[in-house]
Amino acid sequence: MTGAIIENMSTKKLVIVGVTLLLFQALAFMVGGLIAPSPTSAVEYLATKCVDTIKHRQETKWFMPWGPNQCDKIRTFDEAMAKRIEANNIVFAAHIPMPNNEMSPWFQFMLVILQFDIAFKMYNQIEEGAVVTVDVGLAYRDDSFSEWTEMAHSFEHRNLNCNFTADKTFENEGRYYECDPLPFMEVGSVAHKYYLINIRLPVNERKKVNIGIGEIKDIRLVGIHQNGGFTKVWFAMKTFLTPSILIIMIWYWRRITLMTRPPVLLEKVIFALGISMTFINIPVEWFSVGFNWTWMLLFGDIRQGIFYSMLLSFWIIFCGEHLMDQMERNRFSVYWKQVGPIVFGSFCLFIFDMCERGVQLTNPFYSIWASDVGTELAMSFIIVAGICACLYFLFLCFMVFQVFRNISGKRTSLPAMSKARRLHYEGLIFRFKFLMLVTLTCAAMTIIFFIISQVNEGHWHWGDHTVQMNSAFFTGIYGMWNLYVFAIMFLYAPSHKRYGDEQSSGQCIAGDGGATSGEDIQLTTTVTHVDGPTEIYKMTGKEAQE
Amino acid sequence: MRDHDLRKKLVQFERSETVRSALREEVSQCGGDVVEWQRTRYLAKLSSVGSIRDEETCERLRGLIQRQVQICKRSVEVMDAVRRGAQLAIDECQFQFRSRRWNCSTLETMPVFGKVVTQGTREAAFVYAISAASVAFAVTRACSSGELEKCGCDHNVHGVSPEGFQWSGCSDNIAYGVAFSQSFVDVRERGKGQSSSRALMNLHNNEAGRKAILSNMRVECKCHGVSGSCEVKTCWKAMPPFRKVGNIIKEKFDGATEVEQRKVGSTKVLVPRNSQFKPHTDEDLVYLEPSPDFCDYDPRTPGMLGTVGRQCNRTSKAIDGCELMCCGRGFQTQEVEVVDRCSCKFHWCCYVKCKQCRKMMEIHTCR
Repeated sequence: MTGAIIENMSTKKLVIVGVTLLLFQALAFMVGGLIAPSPTSAVEYLATKCVDTIKHRQETKWFMPWGPNQCDKIRTFDEAMAKRIEANNIVFAAHIPMPNNEMSPWFQFMLVILQFDIAFKMYNQIEEGAVVTVDVGLAYRDDSFSEWTEMAHSFEHRNLNCNFTADKTFENEGRYYECDPLPFMEVGSVAHKYYLINIRLPVNERKKVNIGIGEIKDIRLVGIHQNGGFTKVWFAMKTFLTPSILIIMIWYWRRITLMTRPPVLLEKVIFALGISMTFINIPVEWFSVGFNWTWMLLFGDIRQGIFYSMLLSFWIIFCGEHLMDQMERNRFSVYWKQVGPIVFGSFCLFIFDMCERGVQLTNPFYSIWASDVGTELAMSFIIVAGICACLYFLFLCFMVFQVFRNISGKRTSLPAMSKARRLHYEGLIFRFKFLMLVTLTCAAMTIIFFIISQVNEGHWHWGDHTVQMNSAFFTGIYGMWNLYVFAIMFLYAPSHKRYGDEQSSGQCIAGDGGATSGEDIQLTTTVTHVDGPTEIYKMTGKEAQE
Repeated sequence: MRDHDLRKKLVQFERSETVRSALREEVSQCGGDVVEWQRTRYLAKLSSVGSIRDEETCERLRGLIQRQVQICKRSVEVMDAVRRGAQLAIDECQFQFRSRRWNCSTLETMPVFGKVVTQGTREAAFVYAISAASVAFAVTRACSSGELEKCGCDHNVHGVSPEGFQWSGCSDNIAYGVAFSQSFVDVRERGKGQSSSRALMNLHNNEAGRKAILSNMRVECKCHGVSGSCEVKTCWKAMPPFRKVGNIIKEKFDGATEVEQRKVGSTKVLVPRNSQFKPHTDEDLVYLEPSPDFCDYDPRTPGMLGTVGRQCNRTSKAIDGCELMCCGRGFQTQEVEVVDRCSCKFHWCCYVKCKQCRKMMEIHTCR
């Protein structure tokens, strides 16, 4: 693919393209920062303690914490103690959302965190490795008067991870343990207006169920969902980006098919990158507003995974094709060593995701982190994926290093070369350096904004008109990689200048190759042999004729 | 305290705390007065009567000033939480001061504390701070459990969009709790006129109490990006347990600054009386006058009952030690049989099965 547009473009045009892209980039940041609200919000629910008085009931009854038909409540467990209510008769109830609000499909997902408030008591401490068994039910309804419909019901185990910071003395009785938040529930679509969670902590002394878990004072739930406003901005952005990338992709592929030679590997890879970008962009999420598709979350993960692995493969192949050594590459199989780790790593993460979010499709309360075996399994998947990532970056760094070494090697021999050959190499070097620069800028931007958004989370801005840094991060970075793919497809597409010369230039280069066979440098790389409708080939043609 | 009475108390006891409270009730009722306290105490008394459901109840609540009655009528649903907050403040105050000469006990009659601490003492500062904090705490809790319809998910909090919750979610409940505490608790002082030094002190201490919650909110986060990575992270703030708030305010009590009123420009401000001390921050407690010693019963000041009959610790050199607690009057020692719980089996709630172990214990009480 020698003779990409980028080489033939005048500096002025290149600057115009660059400025236009930068403007779009700024727009992407501003859309997130100024229009969209923060990406997600968390609502804390304090579970109400209801009393289940009837012993053996037939059908499951749902306990409402407030509103009409609310349950018999107790405020504290001292009250329960006085009324001789047993642990098995207590139901913790939480209604999502708060009164006067409705959930909406725009929330996309809902996950709930479980937190126990456990008071320290000298004689009733949390035992080592205590496990809580929860009997949990989730129900929904779409208006405030109909019956609740069960959505899921399950017995779950969660490891209590609590520590007590003060001294364990009588003086400090009544202080609370500091417990890690526990993953509790994850739903991939929010199709209903009202949700109700009922939690029981059944006690069975014989089977050692819920024994030695300390004195529970309260159960707090934190519901996290994507903000509707953010979803709308996000969808709008996707809807706008899809046709943009699609159009440039079609344009790019048309250019390639217009040429007489078959497309080279790098061109195919760039096209694949465009496809995976479009795959992410296509706003299928619009359907989640109308349909109850719980697998959307998983599908989104898969799409992102495909894009990431495509992007990583692209970098490797791009480096490889610009190595400027004597090897004939241009075949995907050459890169198995570098692409292998990417594929394997993504596969590991896919398996992990299937184990977590895949199982959650059937049981929203499932968490792979809840059991010891699951934790080890999950950790091993993640570690393997991490090793693959390290391996990949080693390969990539080594390749980049090789390219630079070759570039400096070529630099010294450039003046001695024939003009055509020199221009060819200069084109290669420019192309490589340009992409290197853009890629590094994008990666650096991503990392910087990621860090900012992580740090920013720690600080809370009060007041109404703050710039939503996190939303700006998401829309800005998303827009940036779209522009990146766009720019690559545009700038690295074959140039259309002098299609008429195609035939002759092809011959010329062959001739040139023959004439200079004594030289130790051969024009391999992607390069080409055939098509070159560019300045270089014009030159080579002329020279050969001379 | 009669020996046999004490024993009766001790038999059904729940370890040390109940003993203390029992002793407290019967023996020493010295107190911090504080009008605020009367009000909250009065609300607290209502807990046995029933909940505050309608606007008429607001009229009948004694201790409220007119503007508080208005707020009460306007937001009746919150008053239940305020009542619980008051109870919480009393419990916490009594816990924090369990081993001091003034132990935050309350009288059953009106006026609750008489005129012991009408002056701006340290104790008054503590009571104001813990009351303001407890109201904010209780209202926030009520918000989280869905009892209140306003709160953080109020539709016009963000003001950005017409759809509020669905567009941008809720703001924190604590903001509502604190704002309510500010409007309801502080209105008393604002009514009196800003200028009096007492009003300035009370307002400062109220705010310090609320700060004790606000600056100790625990930030918790959850990562939920692709495959649960931290690409997307959501954080929220959790309120500290009230015991922790109490501990913090107690620490501020120990390091409280004595201040006096001074005029700076046209406004009156409180500055440390000793100019060599560091100026106090927003989170510190301030007081205007040194506290009495709370040692002796004083019939002219109701509630000031002295420390006669209080239990003390013989080995301690601190304020709970017999030396200091009894103000040098000496103490009596009795040997009593205590029924304690031992080898217990617990469930997480509401079930304890224990053996009873008897042991002899020495109890020291002030003369």
